[in-house]
Amino acid sequence: MWADTLLIVFISICTALLGEGLTWLMVYRTEKYQKLKAEVEKQSKKLEKRKETHGDSLDKQHKKKIEREEERLKNNNRDLSFVKMKSMFAIGFAFTALLSMFNSIFDGRVVARLPFLPLTWIQGLSHRNLPGEDYYDCSFIFLYILCTMSIRQNIQKLLGFAPSRAASKQGNSLFGPTPGQFK
Amino acid sequence: MCKSSNTMNKKEEKTLTPKKSVWIRAVTANSEWPDKEEFLDVIYWARQAIGILLGIIWGLLPLKGFLGLVLFAVINAGAVYLYSSNFQNVDEDEFGGAWELTKEGFMTSFAGFLVTWIIIYSGLYYEIDRVAS
Repeated sequence: MWADTLLIVFISICTALLGEGLTWLMVYRTEKYQKLKAEVEKQSKKLEKRKETHGDSLDKQHKKKIEREEERLKNNNRDLSFVKMKSMFAIGFAFTALLSMFNSIFDGRVVARLPFLPLTWIQGLSHRNLPGEDYYDCSFIFLYILCTMSIRQNIQKLLGFAPSRAASKQGNSLFGPTPGQFK
Repeated sequence: MCKSSNTMNKKEEKTLTPKKSVWIRAVTANSEWPDKEEFLDVIYWARQAIGILLGIIWGLLPLKGFLGLVLFAVINAGAVYLYSSNFQNVDEDEFGGAWELTKEGFMTSFAGFLVTWIIIYSGLYYEIDRVAS
């Protein structure tokens, strides 16, 4: 049991590193991305500060200024998402292939025993391709998803690839908000 | 000359002393947090550590069922709330309210907790549990 679970943790560390490495090669190191990211962060912080100081004021001029800045930020965020999108698709395809390979390796194999009974709508995932009706048995895919959820995000934060909180708070990114950057 | 260098040194000291390392400020009560991001980072990483630690303890005991999940959520959220409002005495509104602090890194910590809990529980009690069920 130890061997399977630790192997899955190892696989998800490797895939997370591979994913970040590929994204670095295709996106993070490009000048366009770095420029846009710096711009978005600067604008988000500026906007947040402006909202804090003039948030409650009914001054039309301030409101207009805020709206204009929001619009600019939105456009920059959209550009940033487009820069990311190309590589995201490439990585998505590569990872789907990898995942189906691992799925076939672990097909029908109970990799762990859950200490709790998962909710009915999660059982489809936690008991995927497993024989029997014992829903405490855990499939590869469930443990892999959990590992990825925790490891990928932490690796992103450690390497400083996650967008800052100010930027994600202002949202508008196509890929949704992500937690802030570790300095 | 000497006097001016002395005053320079004093000035430097003055600017350097308030900037203690994040580690020291994190374990010192009522620290100053001029950069909000730093404090949120401390909360984030503390949460990850709590998640993994609780996962190991729950797995070793072993704690089972819904109770384990609820206890984790209560301890995790409670510890962060006590740390920020009682130990560090920060103004929650500066960080967007208590909710912002409570949810900072919660899902990642929950995933980390589940992984360690499942791995240790499976490793130690798989056979016993399977036979019993």
